[in-house]
Amino acid sequence: MAETTLIIAALKVVGYGLGAIGPGIGIGIACYGCCVASARQPELAGRMFTNFIIGAALAEALALIGFVLAFIM
Amino acid sequence: MDALSILSADVPHLQESFNSAVVIGTAEIGMTQYILWMIICWLITLAVVMAGAKKLSLVPSGKFSSIVEYGYNFVAKDMGEGVIGHGYKKHVPFLATMFFFILISNFVGLIPGCKTPTGTISVTWALATISFFYFNYYGIKAHGGLAYIKSLAPSGLPKPMVPIIWFFELISLILRWLTLAVRLYGNMFAGHMVLGIFALAASVFLTTGIQAADFLTAGLSIPWFLMVVAMYALETLVAFLQAYVFTILSAVYINLATSSH
Repeated sequence: MAETTLIIAALKVVGYGLGAIGPGIGIGIACYGCCVASARQPELAGRMFTNFIIGAALAEALALIGFVLAFIM
Repeated sequence: MDALSILSADVPHLQESFNSAVVIGTAEIGMTQYILWMIICWLITLAVVMAGAKKLSLVPSGKFSSIVEYGYNFVAKDMGEGVIGHGYKKHVPFLATMFFFILISNFVGLIPGCKTPTGTISVTWALATISFFYFNYYGIKAHGGLAYIKSLAPSGLPKPMVPIIWFFELISLILRWLTLAVRLYGNMFAGHMVLGIFALAASVFLTTGIQAADFLTAGLSIPWFLMVVAMYALETLVAFLQAYVFTILSAVYINLATSSH
């Protein structure tokens, strides 16, 4: 019984880890784009940073759903 | 017993300290510690803004007044004008209220002994619900009820695709509500949990090391303590960033709801 609970708890963490891969890659690409674009046109850096934050927040949503599922399931 | 097993035995107590517990009144009518801190943060926000706006003049007098005006201008220019664009002025009070309240809540949680109101899902749900109803209200006001529901799907799609895209857009609308709440809660809760675990590790390693006269274990508490300091610096950044993200996403959703596609 205790072992089953432990396995379920471990699987939740593994599931959350798998769910975090995609958003991690997505935010990485967004940050890369923001850095490269800011280096080319520093005068637009503020606007790009805003867009980067918005994009990162939207990509993060998937990881957050995983975070919630790990708690409530 | 070695330090690591004592640490893993102590972690459930740490987790329990994050649960909502009634501090005033009974379980039926009462306040949990988070709601108590929410009211305290609300009063601090009120005091800060009232003190900043007491002597309004064209050129802000005094440092405090300048700081508050800088914050308000930051919301108005960066989030209002930059994201919403035309007609941003009437949304600035709402955005500034959200920004100041969340910022102060997040920073209050960083003071040892205080609880962050945004570290519980109920408070962030309430904030997200306010934001959700706000942008839907302005969307309906801008387009009219039926046209707003139709405008969820972008125009110019081929006819058979419209219901499918509309359905996905509806799900993404509901997900905005969920993610606004969970993003703030998750970041604050996880950050405080990490801080708590590192602080617990530092103290457990130090006490077990001294009791067993084992200087290697006691010395290991120094890197743990340095980790606490580093995480604290990161949490200070996250506290600001999450307030910024919540407000800017509210602004983006208002923009999406009110602008015509």
